Amino acid sequence: MTRLLLTVALLMMPLWVQAQTRTEVIQTVVDDHILPGFSGLATQASRLAAAAKHDCNPASTALRTAYSQAFDAWVSVSHLRFGPTEFGNRAFALAFWPDSRGATPRSLNQLISSQDPIALSAASYAEASIAARGFYALEFLLYDETLMSAGDATYHCTLIQTITDDIASLTQAISDDWQSTYAAILTQPAADGTYRSDDEVLRELFNTLATGLEFTSETRLGRPLGTFDRPRPTRAEVWRSGRSTTHVMLSLEALQMIANHLAVRDPALSARLDQRFDRARMQLENLDDPVFATSADPQARLKIEVIQQSVDAIRTIVRDELGPTLGVAAGFNALDGD
Amino acid sequence: MVTDMNGRRQFLGGLLATGLIPKLTWADAGSPSFLSAAAKPDGSHVLCGIGDNLQVLFQIPLPARGHAATAHPTKPEAVAFARRPGTFALVIDCVSGTQTARLDAPHGRHFYGHGTFSADGDLLFTTENDYDAGQGRIGVWDARQGYRRIDEWSSGGIGPHDIQNTPHRDTLVVANGGIDTHPDSGRAKLNIPTMRPNLAYVTSGGLIEVAELPRGHQKNSIRHLAVSDAGEVAFGMQWQDEQSAETLVGLHRLGAPVQLMSTPQDDVRKMNGYVGSIAFGKGGRTVVATSPRGGIVQFFDTVSQSHTQSTEFTDACGLAAHNMGLVVSSGTGELRQIDQNSISLSRNFDLAWDNHLVAIG
Repeated sequence: MTRLLLTVALLMMPLWVQAQTRTEVIQTVVDDHILPGFSGLATQASRLAAAAKHDCNPASTALRTAYSQAFDAWVSVSHLRFGPTEFGNRAFALAFWPDSRGATPRSLNQLISSQDPIALSAASYAEASIAARGFYALEFLLYDETLMSAGDATYHCTLIQTITDDIASLTQAISDDWQSTYAAILTQPAADGTYRSDDEVLRELFNTLATGLEFTSETRLGRPLGTFDRPRPTRAEVWRSGRSTTHVMLSLEALQMIANHLAVRDPALSARLDQRFDRARMQLENLDDPVFATSADPQARLKIEVIQQSVDAIRTIVRDELGPTLGVAAGFNALDGD
Repeated sequence: MVTDMNGRRQFLGGLLATGLIPKLTWADAGSPSFLSAAAKPDGSHVLCGIGDNLQVLFQIPLPARGHAATAHPTKPEAVAFARRPGTFALVIDCVSGTQTARLDAPHGRHFYGHGTFSADGDLLFTTENDYDAGQGRIGVWDARQGYRRIDEWSSGGIGPHDIQNTPHRDTLVVANGGIDTHPDSGRAKLNIPTMRPNLAYVTSGGLIEVAELPRGHQKNSIRHLAVSDAGEVAFGMQWQDEQSAETLVGLHRLGAPVQLMSTPQDDVRKMNGYVGSIAFGKGGRTVVATSPRGGIVQFFDTVSQSHTQSTEFTDACGLAAHNMGLVVSSGTGELRQIDQNSISLSRNFDLAWDNHLVAIG
């Protein structure tokens, strides 16, 4: 249903936004994408904390459902990595992934085996290792065969409740900052402000789109793919909870939405982007493999590679066409990042 | 594919055929002053030799996008590195345009795109990632033995990027950017909250000094280096935090604390948190930094340790000094020579110049 509404909304967009100014484009992104995204996340996170208070059993359906809904809400804004998400490393504390060196299970094991009192409250937990905080740490406690039942049951329960409280307070702080100050910083650039012009704001939004696509291609899809000779299915994001393809889908939907807002002044480009996003999402829907486990199968992995190629094709259009359309420098070296 | 076939080269070809091989020098490659990788309009990649007058002397095909190259101090030989996280580098004979050796990163390592020779040219040093350990390494390769890998040292930090030799002593200086990455996660940055960049000095594998940034600057990733004739090190940084950077350029001397170039807030902002290349001007009094993201070139005075001026230049990135002044290259194809803060020569090419322009000799 959500997907249908999204499609309808995207179809309708060119009808009423063709005359948008650059300022209006920014206003629309803030009002329709950023603010509702973070406020929805804060709401879901507070429900997650309440569910954990009510029942901290890792197998609890209510808890797992609340976790899934809150995590969905995070993934749908996870490309918006500037401003309030970055203050005090909040986004890293919510989402420590990829974890190439296994810091998350290691930190959780240390806390559990020593029954570290730092986990007794969200306030003290703010000082815990970032790897032991947030949605990805919680996945281990709810779904990892060993960690879901490790250590003292009471401590384990407290740890789950504290992590959900911490997630709730981080997401509320992000949403509050967006509402109270950062929305205006984006929509009213000023000579002495964080952004001096609409151009600088559009560049920031463009970068979130480009970086979000890069992350989905290289990391969300690239990690489980590994190489042909050495596929790495257990490096897929959140495979323990069976959410890997869901994250790719949610990120593509969110990125499609911001791409459409940004391309609104060029209907032909907007349509082309839509077509490419639709194709990638359809390929993903047809992939009968929720955790990219088939990356290890020489035949089946082709389907995952095709999805990655589709995302890369979107990246090319974004870089070569949307960037110049928005007037943001998309130079050979400017985008290199090295 | 070598575009400039001069008489000397044909003559050498004849000598090679007879087995009389003289010792080749950079003069045999047309005496280029600089090397740079570039992308051609058809999307293919080349390594170019560039002369004093900013003419392209030769173009040699590369198999993929390059990052930096490094030039052998005497032999007409260049090492071209693939961009991060590449696992190979090519040694190219700039006279014949052929590949003479290939460096493959050992298992568990990848290159960062930079390398430098020892003063005598016998050894090549490369910055590398030991990615399962999350530690920086310096690969040591013997140019006399076909670039055989002979050793590996610690870089003294995480995420080493640029590496340079210092004059009058065989001490290397390494920009440990502080950012942990792992090739299984693409270019995702894994440790921004805890990153601690540094400048490390290494002599024969021993770490002789590690200079860190002052408090509050830990999210300024030290990436690119320039060394003056007097051994002063200038470094360019890339800012990784939300609040804006205080400055992106600094200076260091062995045994002294790091000095940051004081820069007006407005000028820091114009760099967009990103320095692409850095160089000393003639005499070591001026430091120049490019920002392709800001489309700007900035000048700093090493005595007052402050910013002096800014010049707009779209997608400017490559930067190198030589006796005529400074040369800046851009992704839009321009090579521009700057003397006394004014443009003394400019040429445009149907090439996108890659990140770094490397001075020869």
